[in-house]
Amino acid sequence: MCLGIPGQIIEIHDEQGVAMGTVDFGGVRRSVCLAYVAHEIAPGDYAIVHVGFAISKVSEEEAKRTYALLEEMSQLDELEWLAELTRTSAAEAAPVAPLPERVP
Amino acid sequence: MKYLSEYRDARIAKALAHRIRATASRRWVLMEVCGGQTHTIVRQGIDELLGDAVEMIHGPGCPVCVTPLEQIDRAVALASRPDVTFTSFGDMLRVPGSDCDLQQVRARGGTVRVVYSPLDAVELAQRNPDRQVVFFAVGFETTAPANAMAVWRAHQLGVRNFSMLVSHVTVPPAMIALLEAPDNRVQGFLAAGHVCTVMGWDEYEPIAERYHVPIVVTGFEPVDILEGVLLAVTQLEAGEARVENQYVRSVRREGNTAARELVGRVFRLVDRKWRGIGEIPSSGLAIREEYADFDAELRFGVQDIHANESPDCRAGDVLRGQLKPIDCPMFGNVCTPMHPLGAPMVSTEGACAAYFTAGRLRSPVAGGVQ
Amino acid sequence: MTAISVSGAGAVCPTPTIESERVLLGHGSGGKLSAALLRDHILPWFTSPALRELGDAAVVPISGAELALSTDAFVVSPLEFPGGDIGVLAVHGTLNDLAMVGADPRYITVGFVIEEGLPLATLDRIVASMARSAERAGVAIVAGDTKVVERGKADGLFITTTGIGTFDGTFRAAPTGARDGDVVLVSGPVGAHGMTIMSVREGLGFETELISDTAALHPLVRQLRQAVADDVHVMRDPTRGGVASALNEIAAASRVGIELDEQAIPVDPPVFAACEVLGLDPLYVANEGIFLAIVPASVVDSALAALRAHPLGTRSRKIGRVTGANAGTVWVRTAIGGTRVVDMLPGDQLPRIC
Repeated sequence: MCLGIPGQIIEIHDEQGVAMGTVDFGGVRRSVCLAYVAHEIAPGDYAIVHVGFAISKVSEEEAKRTYALLEEMSQLDELEWLAELTRTSAAEAAPVAPLPERVP
Repeated sequence: MKYLSEYRDARIAKALAHRIRATASRRWVLMEVCGGQTHTIVRQGIDELLGDAVEMIHGPGCPVCVTPLEQIDRAVALASRPDVTFTSFGDMLRVPGSDCDLQQVRARGGTVRVVYSPLDAVELAQRNPDRQVVFFAVGFETTAPANAMAVWRAHQLGVRNFSMLVSHVTVPPAMIALLEAPDNRVQGFLAAGHVCTVMGWDEYEPIAERYHVPIVVTGFEPVDILEGVLLAVTQLEAGEARVENQYVRSVRREGNTAARELVGRVFRLVDRKWRGIGEIPSSGLAIREEYADFDAELRFGVQDIHANESPDCRAGDVLRGQLKPIDCPMFGNVCTPMHPLGAPMVSTEGACAAYFTAGRLRSPVAGGVQ
Repeated sequence: MTAISVSGAGAVCPTPTIESERVLLGHGSGGKLSAALLRDHILPWFTSPALRELGDAAVVPISGAELALSTDAFVVSPLEFPGGDIGVLAVHGTLNDLAMVGADPRYITVGFVIEEGLPLATLDRIVASMARSAERAGVAIVAGDTKVVERGKADGLFITTTGIGTFDGTFRAAPTGARDGDVVLVSGPVGAHGMTIMSVREGLGFETELISDTAALHPLVRQLRQAVADDVHVMRDPTRGGVASALNEIAAASRVGIELDEQAIPVDPPVFAACEVLGLDPLYVANEGIFLAIVPASVVDSALAALRAHPLGTRSRKIGRVTGANAGTVWVRTAIGGTRVVDMLPGDQLPRIC
């Protein structure tokens, strides 16, 4: 359910009493209803958009903080999982194992 | 794309999977509630990465899948009317009703259009004052603010030829129904990040406490889902059962209060049937009396259309996590995306279709969950 | 209990078809419904051996020589779109079908079904751009027909074309040619045409800078063939149904498995973004200016170098390999190390918005 995609607010305007705006999704732009985030959003901010409605402002701070933790963890673990990978990759490099029989 | 591509980072995903396997001292059973998460898991092969550490059960969070058969039949009846332009999200077009689906209605001469947003349907009604434009409002809490706004907007602008066939459902009652079932196997939940973006997570705290299950509010990209699984497994290993928020970049505790406010103004809680599951008390939304003019069921008198589901379809067991799609005797032979018996085989988010199109392999123990 | 065999057009498909007494839009999608339409309603009546291979073009003997023949019908809404129009598409599509069997395109014939009310200025623009594309490609449009139908009986303009090509040697490419150990190449980024059309189609309301990739590919094909001394096993332009459907057809026809590396598949950022927003998979989106080449591993480097030396192939990539195992199946190794099978879709890819 609920395909929500982050996009950047380009502009905000009023359409007969409702906040609307243009949102850019990596080069694809669409008119989006901003009524539910109007109080906290400005051009340049990112929002999660679902069926043409911004449902939240993406928190840059939180995103940065949590992503930094993930990166740190992945570096810490890297040696370990690389070792695990090397153990299994011998099997993977062999000629393609047949996919187990698919469901009839 | 910012806030999307970086959460598909293979290095971080593999590290998280490694950490999950290292943390789990036994095999845990988690349910991802949301169909969007099911899609990511199956599409990216995340369950393969989890190995024996975690079994993922795919929950009922696919609005297309749980929309009751009779509601599809009502949609078909409305779309077949010569005066109606029926609008819907794309996925709903292939959901089989008792007699046919909306694509077939179109082939027989009905006017059926896919829209991206419910506001597009309101606009379509404004541009075509001589047509009755009906929008098929399905979805969970995430979609409710959009559909509420469409009704409110049509009311405000006096768009009299717009109405809505509503089949809204809400997540927490379904989670409780699952946990109350005597054969429940779910030990922890990944809650749907976008539902919680709207609703916050207050409602989940009593559930976590009462049933002693960890509930992790989780996003939709591979890194999000793996991190959500890691947080849930860490809680399970420590014997904890809290609500935790993985999707912090989008979800706040209180949700989106402006959205909740309008949803409450336009919709009221009702008992609702879930396809394959049956009626769950206070699990749905319907249009309030003040906005009853925009209720397509009342406007066109289709509320008396009722239907019974195919007894061959075990969608209910799948949606409740009791049966893996590939272990269903109908899967792949009688029931395929070309000829779906039930809705989970139709929607790309549906567990059965996700397994079918991604070519999941038969699980080692056939015959369903023990 | 047999494994699911993936249905190429004409191959036996064990999946029951959607029960419908009428043609659905999905029958035109290039997926399983299209294959079923051919198998159940067209091919039982047409039994020529030249048709049986179901390549992009038929190879027929005439007066001791072999000719390549291809027919195509074009319906696109809107008629004019960023990067081209229905006329350009008709010329390029025909040329490409001939090039995919290894022929040099020579002549094209064209039929116009015009809806009453079509602005003559629109028709003029489309016919002029057809003439330009044909001239640029070095082919002549030598015969044609026009019909006009009542308003409401056609979507502005439909075009049908037939192309004739000749061979200059013994090289013929067919979808049956893929072998265990071969490598799958793609000549450019995927999904541009289909997402361009979807973005400008009324109703979805997206603005993009996408432009269709429509192009005549025979010069690029020639460059590839020269570089590898015709050591090319299969060529296919992945139009409707996209790369996924084209490779499924090849896997079925050649009785091989095909493994793709998801990270190697080139997708331009706006195409990627548009697919994300609508919940679509670029592997199923139509292309009009790229082709898939399956070549022996020994010639991969020279094949890629030749493709990249041509302006239409600068972004050619190796995207996968052919295996003897899992015959009839196409699957993807995902970025995070999982796998998923890439089956043919039953019908149209519908926006996944909810």
